[in-house]
Amino acid sequence: MEALFFNIDNGFLEGIVRGYKSGILTQNQYANLTQCETLEDFRTQLSATDYGGFLANESLPLSTSTIQEKATQILVDQFNYLRGNAVEPLNKFLEYITYSYMIDNIILLITGTLHERDTHELLERCHPLGVFESMPALCVATTVEELYQSVLVETPLAPYFRDCLSANDLDDLNIEIIRNTVYKAYLEDFHSFCGTLGQPTQDVMQRTLAFEADRRTINITVNSFNTELSKEQRAKLFPTIGRLWPEGNNQLAKADDIDQVRAACETVSEYRTFFNDAGVSSSSAHGNGGIDDLAAASMLEDRFFRMEVFLNKQAFLQQFQYGVFFSYVKLKEQEIRNLTWIAECIAQDAKDRIQDFIPIF
Amino acid sequence: MSDDYPSLLRSERMSLVQLFVPTEVAHDTVHELGELGDVQFKDLNPSVNPFQRSFVGEIRRIDDMSRRTRFFDAQIEKEKDVVPVRPLYECAPLLTVGPRSAQTVDELDTTLSQYESKLTTLNESYQTLSERTRELTEARHVLRETAVFFDKAHTQTSNIRSSFDDSATPLLTSHDDREGGYSAGSFDLEFVAGTIERSRVPTFERVLWRVLRGNLYMNHTDIAEPFIDPSTNAETRKNVFIIFAHGDVVLAKIRKVAESMGATIFPIDANADKRADALREVENRLEDLQTVLYNTGIGRRAELVKIGESLRVWQDVVKKEKLIYETLNLFNYDVRRKTLIAEAWVPTRDLTKIQLALRHATEESGTSVPPILHELQTSKTPPTFHRTNKFTEGFQAIMDSYGISAYQEINPGLFAITTFPFLFAVMFGDIGHGFIILIAAVYMILREKAMAKQDNGEIIGQFFYGRYIILMMGLFSIYTGFLYNDLFSKTLHLFHSGWTFPDNSTRGVYTGHTYPFGLDPAWHGATNALVFTNSYKMKMSIVLGVIHMTFALCLQVPNHFRFKRKSDIYTNFIPQMLFLQSIFGYLVLCILYKWSVDWTKSPVSPPSLLNMLITMFLEPGKVDPEKQLYPGQGFVQTVLLGIAGVCVPWLLISKPYLAWREMHKTTGAGYVTLGNGEETAIARHSTDETLEGEEEGNGRAIAEGDEEHEGHDFGDVVIHQIIHTIEFCLGCISHTASYLRLWALSLAHAQLSEVLWSMTLDGRTDPKSIGGWIGLGIMGFMWLNLTIGILCLMEGLSAFLHALRLHWVEGNSKHFEGGGYPFAPLSFAGEGSKEA
Repeated sequence: MEALFFNIDNGFLEGIVRGYKSGILTQNQYANLTQCETLEDFRTQLSATDYGGFLANESLPLSTSTIQEKATQILVDQFNYLRGNAVEPLNKFLEYITYSYMIDNIILLITGTLHERDTHELLERCHPLGVFESMPALCVATTVEELYQSVLVETPLAPYFRDCLSANDLDDLNIEIIRNTVYKAYLEDFHSFCGTLGQPTQDVMQRTLAFEADRRTINITVNSFNTELSKEQRAKLFPTIGRLWPEGNNQLAKADDIDQVRAACETVSEYRTFFNDAGVSSSSAHGNGGIDDLAAASMLEDRFFRMEVFLNKQAFLQQFQYGVFFSYVKLKEQEIRNLTWIAECIAQDAKDRIQDFIPIF
Repeated sequence: MSDDYPSLLRSERMSLVQLFVPTEVAHDTVHELGELGDVQFKDLNPSVNPFQRSFVGEIRRIDDMSRRTRFFDAQIEKEKDVVPVRPLYECAPLLTVGPRSAQTVDELDTTLSQYESKLTTLNESYQTLSERTRELTEARHVLRETAVFFDKAHTQTSNIRSSFDDSATPLLTSHDDREGGYSAGSFDLEFVAGTIERSRVPTFERVLWRVLRGNLYMNHTDIAEPFIDPSTNAETRKNVFIIFAHGDVVLAKIRKVAESMGATIFPIDANADKRADALREVENRLEDLQTVLYNTGIGRRAELVKIGESLRVWQDVVKKEKLIYETLNLFNYDVRRKTLIAEAWVPTRDLTKIQLALRHATEESGTSVPPILHELQTSKTPPTFHRTNKFTEGFQAIMDSYGISAYQEINPGLFAITTFPFLFAVMFGDIGHGFIILIAAVYMILREKAMAKQDNGEIIGQFFYGRYIILMMGLFSIYTGFLYNDLFSKTLHLFHSGWTFPDNSTRGVYTGHTYPFGLDPAWHGATNALVFTNSYKMKMSIVLGVIHMTFALCLQVPNHFRFKRKSDIYTNFIPQMLFLQSIFGYLVLCILYKWSVDWTKSPVSPPSLLNMLITMFLEPGKVDPEKQLYPGQGFVQTVLLGIAGVCVPWLLISKPYLAWREMHKTTGAGYVTLGNGEETAIARHSTDETLEGEEEGNGRAIAEGDEEHEGHDFGDVVIHQIIHTIEFCLGCISHTASYLRLWALSLAHAQLSEVLWSMTLDGRTDPKSIGGWIGLGIMGFMWLNLTIGILCLMEGLSAFLHALRLHWVEGNSKHFEGGGYPFAPLSFAGEGSKEA
C-alpha cells in the first residue's frame, strides 16, 4: 500500500535525491583525483564532475578548507532544498537528521567555551546543518543546568538533555559523557520515530540506526579503556538499540581489553571481520598495549566507515521509503571527507596515503 | 559531378587531413583556423588526463584571467549606477597573433591583475569605510533612541511613583515601570545599549529572559532604514535595544550574550549632556567619513568605467585564447618535440582555403616554416556537414533535431524546404491567417540585422531563428487559403460562382460553369458545406499522404547507389514500392477517378471507397455490382492484392538469402573472415609513397587504431529484415491513416475561425448607432487578439507540430538512415555570441 501513495507526497523528492545520488563521485573519478599533482589540478578534475565550477571563482592559492567548505555548502543547499519541499512526516524525518549535527555543534561550542576559544571562530566551525537560532548563546553557560535552562530548553533537543542534568560541572570527561548520553537518547528517539513510519522506511532506517548504535557502543567501550570512566557509567551510555543489545552490550560493559570486545561482537557475523587483523596485531605486540589499541581503534574506525557506506548504499536499493534521504546525506558527508582527505594529501605531498579514502560507488 | 557546387542534397565530402605545425606557429595557425571555422580537430590523446596535457599551464593562466574578467563583470553589474560597457564591435581589436602575440597576452595578464589588485584595494577601503560608517550610523541611532527613551522616562516619573504600591496594577507593567522609575530618578541602574539584527530580536529577548531569570528591563525600537552591505548588496535591518539590569555579573552576561548573537554594543553615558556631546561628535565624524566614502566611491567608479571600456575585448581575447589552447591540447608532439601533429576533418572542397589560411598564419607570425597539410586515407566515417545559409538553416535544423543523417546520405532537409511549409499550409489554410504570419516573417527578415545583434530572449529568439520557415509557411498558407477560399472564415468572390439559387430556394442550380480556381464560394453557408469539405479534405489528405510517402520511398534509390548496395533496390525498394502502390496507390487512383465522374448522371449511386478497400481484403475478387466503380474491378483488385501479398515474403526473404549466399561463397572458396583487414590493405596501397613515409609516426597507428568493425552476422541480417518488413507493412497502413491529420487539423482550424467570427463580429459589422460603433470597436479588438493569439499562434504551433511529425515519422521512416555525427568545427564565431 505504501507504494501506492508514497509518490503523492514524496515522489518528487525521492526523484531529486536519487538524482543527487547519481552525482556522487565514482571509483573512476577518484582515481583521476588521486593522480592530481596540485590543488589546481584537483579543481580542474572536479570541474568535470557534478561539482562543476563550484571553485571557479576562488582566487588561486586554494586551501583544503575552502574546498571542504564549498563542498559542504553544496550538500547544505541540496538538503535545504529537500527540506523546503518536504511535507510531514518526511519533514520531521529530515529534521531528525539535523539533530545529530546540532548535538555535535552544541558539544563543540561547550568544549570551545571551556577552553576559552573565540566564540566567532567556534561559530564558524559549526556544521551549517546543525545551526539553530539560539545557538550562539551557548557560550554564556557555565554549568549544565544553566545550559539547559537558558538555551536548550527551547530546542527540540531538550528532552535528550534531561537525562544528563545531574552532571554538575563542565569538564572534558563530563562533556564527553553528555555527548554520549544525548546521542544515545537521540538514536533511541530516532529509532522509535522510524518505527512509526511503517514499512519499508522502518526496515531500512532501523538497520542503519542499529549499526550506528552498535558503532557507538563499541567506540565508547574501546575509548574508555584506561580512563576514569567506571564500568557502570559506561553501561549507561550504551544505546538500548542495535544488534548487540542486550547481551552484547552487557558483555561490552564488562570488557577490559580489545579481545573481550571482539568476543562480545562474535555473535554478529558482520562485525566479526572488523576485529580480524586488529586482534592479531594486539595479541602479537601485547607489550605496548596503549599505542597498539590506538592503531586498532583507528583501523576499526575505518572499517566502521566502510560498513556505514555499504549500509547506506543498500538503502538505495529499496524504493518508497525515507532511508534514501538519510543515506544520501551520510554518503555525501563521506564524500566530502574523502575529498578533504585527498586534497590534504595533495597539499601536504603525502602521496603514499592518498589511497586511504573510502570509495562509495 | 554533382560535387562541383555545394548542395544540400548530400552532406559535404570530407577529408581527414594531417597537419604538421611547427611549435612557433601553432598558436597562430589554430587562431587562423578558428577564425575560418571550417576544421574539426580530432583528439589525439584521448587517454591522457586533462591536466597531464601539454598546454595545461597556459590554460590555467587563462582560467585565472577569465576569473578576473568575471570579477570585473560582477563588480560592474553590482554598481548601482550603470557603468557603460562598450560593446565588442565598437572596440579596437587586440591582436593576439603575430610575432608579438605572446607579449600581448602577457601584457593583458599583467593589466588584468593590476586592475584586479587596484579594484580589490579600493573595494577593501570602501568596505572598511562603509563598515565604519555603518557603525557610526548605528551609534547615532542608539544615541537618539536612548535619548528618546530617557526623556520619556523623565516625564513619567511622577505618576509612576504614585502607583508604586498600587496592588491593582498588573504585575508586569508595574515591574517595568519601577525599573524605569529608578533609572529616571537617579540612574543607579546600569544598562547596555546597542544594535542587533531584527530577526534575532525575539531569540535574543528569550535567551536573556531565561539567562537572567527575568531580572532585566529591555526596550527596543526599529531602525527605519536598512543597512546595505557594499560587497554583497544584501540588506540587513536592525533594531536598537537598551537593557537595564543590576549587577556586574549580570551585565557581563548580557554583553556576552549580545556579542555572541552578533549584536554591536555601544558605550552610552547615562548623563544626558554627555550623550548630547557624544551624539554631536558621532555626527561630525559621520559627516567626514561620508565625504571620504563618497570620494572612494567616485574613484572606484572611475576605475570601473575604465575597465568597462575594454572589458569586452578582454573577455573575447580570453575566450579565444582558451579555445586555442584547448585545441592545442588535442594535438600530438612529434618525437623531437619540434612540431605538433594534428588530425582534423575538413570539407574536401575547402582544402585550398585552408591551405591559404595556413600560409597566411605563417606570414603573420613572421616565421618561414609553414605548417604542412596532407590528406590521409581512412575508412572511418567522416562527420556530416550540410552547408546551409540563413534561408536553409532553419529547415535543416528541423531535420537535424530528428537525427543527423549519415555521411553523404540523401538529406531530407532539402525537400523539407517545400514539403514542410506545404503540409503545414494544408492544415492552416486561410488567406488572412497566412497573411498575418507572412507579415510577421517579413518584419523579422527586414529587421534581420538589427535583431540578430540584440538579445531577443528565448521565445522571440526561437521565432527569429525560424523566420524563413515562417515566411514559407505564410506564403503556402495564403495559397491553400485561396484553394479553400477561406479568408478569416469568409469567402472571396473572385469569379462567377458555378451555382445559382433561384427564388431564395436553398437548392443550388448548376449553371454549367465551373469555378476556375479553388472552392466555389457558393458552398459557403450551404447546409451541406461541412459534408462537402470533409469529404474533399479527407480524400485530399490521403492523396497528398500517398504522394509524400511514395516520394520519400524513392529517396532510397540514390542512397542505394551511393552506398553501392544495388541489390537493395530489388530486395527492398521494389517490393516496398509495389506493396504501397498496389494498395494505397490504387486507392488514390480510385479517389481521382471517383472525382472525375459526374455521379448525378450515373445510373448507380457513388460507391464508398472505404468499404471498397475493406472488401478488397475481406472478399477478394467479389464486387457487388451495385457498388462497382468500374467494370472489371474484381479482377484488378485480385491481381493487386496478389502483388501486395507476394511482396511481403519477397521483402522478408530476399535480402537474408543474398547475405547467406554471399557468406556461402566466401567460406566455400576457403576464406575466413578477418575483420576489415582487406579494406585497409587496399587503402594503404593507394596512398602515395611519400605519405607512407610520413605516416610512420603517429598518424597511421591512430588511423588504423579503431577501425569500425561491422561484423555482418547472418543472424543480424535476418532479424533486422524481419523487423523492417513488419515495420514497413504495418507502417504503410498506419501512416496513410496518419495523414488524415491534415484533414482533421484543417477542419478544426476552419471551424474555430468560424466560431470566433460568429461569436464576436457576426452581425456587428454594420453599426447603426454610437453604441454599435463602440461594440464593433470592442469586439473587433477582441477578435483581432484572439485571431492572433489562438488561431495564428496556438493553431499555428499545433499545425507546425503535426507537419513536423509527418516529416519525421511518416516521411523519414521510408528512407532515412541517420546515425551520423555532426561536423563541429573549431570556430570563434559561435563562442562570441553565446555569452555576450
